[in-house]
Amino acid sequence: MSGAVEFVKGSARLVVSGGRAYKAWVAALLALVAIGGIAYVHQVRTGLIATNMRDQVSWAFYIGNFTFLVGVAAAAVLLVIPAYVYQWKPIKEVVVLGELLAISALTMCLLFILVDMGRPDRFLHIMPLLGTPNWPRSLLAWDALVLNTYLLLNAALVLYLLFKTYRGEHYDRRIFLPLVLLSIPVSISTHTVTAFLYNGMAARPYWNASILAPRFIASAFCSGPAVMIILFQILRRTNRFPIKDEAIWKIAELMSYAMFLNLFLLGAELFKEYYSATEHLRYTQYFWGGLDGHRALVPYAWLSLTCSVAAFVLFLIPRTRRNYVTLNLGCLLIWAGVYIEKGMGLIIPGFTPDTLGEIYEYTPTATEWAIAAGVFGVGFLVFTALVKIAVPILVGTFRAPERVAAPGPSSAGIPAQ
Amino acid sequence: MRKRYAMAVDTARCVGCSACVIACKTENALPSGGFRDWIAEETRGAFPALSMEIRSERCNQCSRPSCVSACPTGASHVADGGVVGVTRAKCTGCKACVASCPYGARYVHPEGFVDKCTFCLHRVREGKLPACVETCPTRALTFGDLADPASRVAELTRSRRVKVLQPGSGNEPNVFFLT
Repeated sequence: MSGAVEFVKGSARLVVSGGRAYKAWVAALLALVAIGGIAYVHQVRTGLIATNMRDQVSWAFYIGNFTFLVGVAAAAVLLVIPAYVYQWKPIKEVVVLGELLAISALTMCLLFILVDMGRPDRFLHIMPLLGTPNWPRSLLAWDALVLNTYLLLNAALVLYLLFKTYRGEHYDRRIFLPLVLLSIPVSISTHTVTAFLYNGMAARPYWNASILAPRFIASAFCSGPAVMIILFQILRRTNRFPIKDEAIWKIAELMSYAMFLNLFLLGAELFKEYYSATEHLRYTQYFWGGLDGHRALVPYAWLSLTCSVAAFVLFLIPRTRRNYVTLNLGCLLIWAGVYIEKGMGLIIPGFTPDTLGEIYEYTPTATEWAIAAGVFGVGFLVFTALVKIAVPILVGTFRAPERVAAPGPSSAGIPAQ
Repeated sequence: MRKRYAMAVDTARCVGCSACVIACKTENALPSGGFRDWIAEETRGAFPALSMEIRSERCNQCSRPSCVSACPTGASHVADGGVVGVTRAKCTGCKACVASCPYGARYVHPEGFVDKCTFCLHRVREGKLPACVETCPTRALTFGDLADPASRVAELTRSRRVKVLQPGSGNEPNVFFLT
């Protein structure tokens, strides 16, 4: 691996240099990380009592964020499928950017699990090989395995591809293609296993529905690509990045189908709960209409539905899909809708009322908000740094020193001959 | 014969005095806010046609414990006599067991690990009764080995009308309520 040192040095130079907007963005993220770090020190000192989680609601805001981000990670790579099917030109770029998003989302996932633990110092017990994971029975042990596999797979793929491109060599299809193809089932399995983690608990009827895993996948296909659409637009403006309008519109169209599926599955769930009206209806009632005067989540439930339906309509109508103002508005709406639905909207009603019938109304404390902001800060920082390194490699402005003299590829997507 | 520790709670004898809760808290030095057993009161009907059931509840030491399945590290395990225990040094405080328990029997200790009723296994191994059973002033609690047909708990569950909580959960609980 000659030139690895140069590669690392060059990458570091890329990350620390940038325009005003870039530096302001990084500074803002660093500030978030600092706030989160201070809050986490406080939580470690006082214990989980610094949060509003109690015995009744023992998983809450952190785990909600975790669930949402698993979806983002899963769907980012799923963009590879339409990229292949519709033969977009910059397929390699789509794959790389999707994987970078997956890496940063997974970083956030693992951090959210860590901050939720009562004894984070013992997390190694869950890890494969290092600890004593309870296989095959524990779904959480499976989740740790698939999330880490997916993270390693993505990191290996991206590193291989970028380093090869940096050195001006062609990637070996016999290595690259099987890994990309493997990452697709692994990405789906991360989200399925996460769904099964909740799904398998007979003690929590709100989650114990066989529709849960398909709904997870459908909603993931909405939130993950939303980030990609916005990123593609930024990259097109700041770099020579040949992503066509048609590709972006196609993603938006696919998102509207995914959202339709998600809304349909939600409707199927609501019908079953309200029509049969068993004692298990209480959890759904708590979310959508409140229970015995407890209505903390009701506004969020309807806000989420409104956002999701509005985004669905915006992405469905060709005229609003092709207008970049309404398209970006749709991305924000879909992100907000799924964030509420797969976050607090999934976790909290699962615990409210609790198994003894008590209602404990959970709302996050300032410490929880601060820690969550810190985790998002870390994630976006990782993503920003990775994109900052990857894009110059892909467009050919950052390459091995011995290649600088030679004429390089003019732009991304067109293989160097 | 393998031991199967179980408990019978006589709801007709229980007066809800919470002596079992205090005894447990003292015996096991539980932290502030942490409880391994508790009193549930269920009222049925409307005045004047009323009835009330009082239950002293705790971990059901299930034969098919969903918490042991959910635990990612094996900290939750099945110990002597089918009692479900938590190895504190292996518990990461991930709370998957708390979510998977249909009885709300587990809580997070201020030290970060999860804690629950052990049927006072440390006392049972010395031939003593669990603290709650020993202290109960109305003798509503009976502890013993269900695998031994001659034991008092086996006799009671045979001869009296018995129910378990959440029978549909698939957990096969081992705390029986005499009605």
